[in-house]
Amino acid sequence: MRLVELSRSEHGALRIRPDLAEASAATEHLIPLVTTEYRKAATQYPIVFAKHSETGKFSSYVLNGLGLNENLFWTGTELDVTYVPMNVRRQPFYVGSNNALCIDLDSPCVDTSGTKSIVETDGSDSAYLKEMLSVLRDLMTGREATEAFIANLLSLDLLAPILLDIRLDDGTPLRLEGLYGLDEEHLRQLEERSFLQLRQTGHLDLIYAVLMASGQIFRLIRLKNQRIALRRSWHTNSAG
Amino acid sequence: MGTPVRSICIVGGGTAGWLTAGIIAARHASDSGRGLQITLIESETIGIIGVGEGTWPTMRSTLKKMGVSETDFFRECNASFKQGAKFSGWVTGAASDFYYHPLMLPEGFPSLDLAPFWTKYSAEHANAPSFSDAVCFQEAVCESGLAPKLITSAEYAGVANYAYHLDAGRFAAFIREHCVKNLGVRHVVDDVTAVIQSDTGDIDYVETKKSGRLSGDLFIDASGFRSLLLGQTLGVPFVKRDDVLFIDRALAVQVPYEDEQSAIVPHTLSVAQKHGWIWDIGLQSRRGVGYVYSSNHVSADTALEELRAYVGSRHRDLQPRQLEIVAGHRQTFWKGNCVAVGLSGGFLEPLEASALVLIEVSADMISSMMPATRETMDIVAKRFNANTHYRWERIIDFLKLHYILSQRTDSKFWIDNRDPVSIPDSLKEQMELWRHRAPGDQDFMSTNEMFPAASYQYVLFGMGFRMNVDDLPLQRGMENAQRAFSQNATLKSKWTKVLPKNRDLINKIKTHGLQKI
Repeated sequence: MRLVELSRSEHGALRIRPDLAEASAATEHLIPLVTTEYRKAATQYPIVFAKHSETGKFSSYVLNGLGLNENLFWTGTELDVTYVPMNVRRQPFYVGSNNALCIDLDSPCVDTSGTKSIVETDGSDSAYLKEMLSVLRDLMTGREATEAFIANLLSLDLLAPILLDIRLDDGTPLRLEGLYGLDEEHLRQLEERSFLQLRQTGHLDLIYAVLMASGQIFRLIRLKNQRIALRRSWHTNSAG
Repeated sequence: MGTPVRSICIVGGGTAGWLTAGIIAARHASDSGRGLQITLIESETIGIIGVGEGTWPTMRSTLKKMGVSETDFFRECNASFKQGAKFSGWVTGAASDFYYHPLMLPEGFPSLDLAPFWTKYSAEHANAPSFSDAVCFQEAVCESGLAPKLITSAEYAGVANYAYHLDAGRFAAFIREHCVKNLGVRHVVDDVTAVIQSDTGDIDYVETKKSGRLSGDLFIDASGFRSLLLGQTLGVPFVKRDDVLFIDRALAVQVPYEDEQSAIVPHTLSVAQKHGWIWDIGLQSRRGVGYVYSSNHVSADTALEELRAYVGSRHRDLQPRQLEIVAGHRQTFWKGNCVAVGLSGGFLEPLEASALVLIEVSADMISSMMPATRETMDIVAKRFNANTHYRWERIIDFLKLHYILSQRTDSKFWIDNRDPVSIPDSLKEQMELWRHRAPGDQDFMSTNEMFPAASYQYVLFGMGFRMNVDDLPLQRGMENAQRAFSQNATLKSKWTKVLPKNRDLINKIKTHGLQKI
């Protein structure tokens, strides 16, 4: 990654391929997710919580795979999903310190064959850049709301490690480590005062979304088993 | 029904008093007024000794049970991680002479005992690794200056087992705040002027300068070396153990770091000297260094020179504080309605950081066996005394073990320490057995053991002891043993790559905090 502050003049000639943004997620088993996306994401992925490796702080993520660097939705050319998280769509743009707009010059999206540019011929922001800026704005406000939601979950003792013991069709045992989900037992036992607070802050809706999304783990297991079957048949055929 | 025990009066506001208050209050106090009422009297004029800057891993569960956040503990107690002790110079005094007593069991222990396999291997190979290095990955972690966990590890959870180094003064204040604010302990700042007994001999109340009479159904003497209640008032004599452990002086000094980012050593350094040994403990902002020695073997001036040589000429201006200490304990620890916790019960040299853990264990025992009535208190006292005596004997044995295998001949201190007259019979018996087999759990049958068999292995083999393994049928277990040795090598290379530097993690904890889960 090579982040530089975006300059309309200096980077005016850059060409972007937005279709390659999804490729940046090809080997990501976790993609950060903000609360405003929970409902849409819940139709596709499990929503999980994990700690940042440098700070230990919790963020929320969509889960794409059952192992490190595994994205089971990646087909080789795109993400086969109903909803692409904003953190993927915003590629190759980032918000740096002091809210400066930055671009990752190492991103595969920065490509001379690209169809999009950041400025129009008259020097004004392109429609594409405006759209990206709006995604980034949504991400920034979403991030604050997400932090507040997670802080509330932690203070109410509503997060717990996810204990998943999966045995795949080929017999491989799978254990997911470092992932956290809602502590449903604590949620059920929550005193009324806290429950009311969750409802008033709108956090209850988010909790429902996370709960609904938890079943999507079976989608991941199915995809993983399909891959195993595919690989096995490939090996069998080539051996034959 | 008898006379119910409703209130506890703790005399002394040092680490012993506040830890005991916290441990008991976390279990027994309640807002509804039903539980026990706990009052602690802290002197206005008498400072705390503040020994014991090293804990055992038990402190993690003690703090957790008390409801303390580990993040707050790091932020407020100048605390750092401790992953055991490195003993330098104890065997021969040569520069390369060191071994570790880590806080983790040998790989596979106790279902698998690597000791005989290592003994055989090291006899046949000149460049064999040390025992502690061969069976436990923690030594490598310590030698690389690494922390025992990650910023993503939950509070009180670790990759490697760990304890703490802490600033005893700040720690007492930290626990005090928690006790008063969150656990409902009543804090009285005043000086005790008299201790008044009733006709039965029990302590009735203590008279204070400003707060009048303070009574209690149970009194806890945490008054330090003075042993105001148990020793001075109830006349329980002190039993010296200086015939076994010769150390009777301490010179303590606080040594600043080179700069704010200097490495913090993640273990206690215990460096043997000519007439004793030096502890060297890395806190966040400074090191705590002290020379404990035997005044029968060296003059105070010479000892001071030895300490100065250790800390280096840069710190020539530091003025060490001198303490007189006597190894030993009260003849009994709980008499009538009074029980001693901490220095009022006794003292031993800090070789294996037994001071704080003894406070925890005693307070835990008082808390879990809390007598419901005065009538049943004597039964509890009898058990408490038997347990505590047993613990002291085991600690004394284990401390003595560090001395009896030394090969040092550079002073009478080391030679006298090997005199059979100074070695307890219980330790002599163990040593007889261990000539033919390694220490195992079968040698430590009590549920009140302080040190596990593995600790004895680390010290024994670290000190150069070798048992006779010629007649042991080792072939049968060889495969398992080899697997365990290579598992240890795997863990060593894995964790030394992943774990952060000790100071880096502590800085991160102070900035970001650890998660509770």
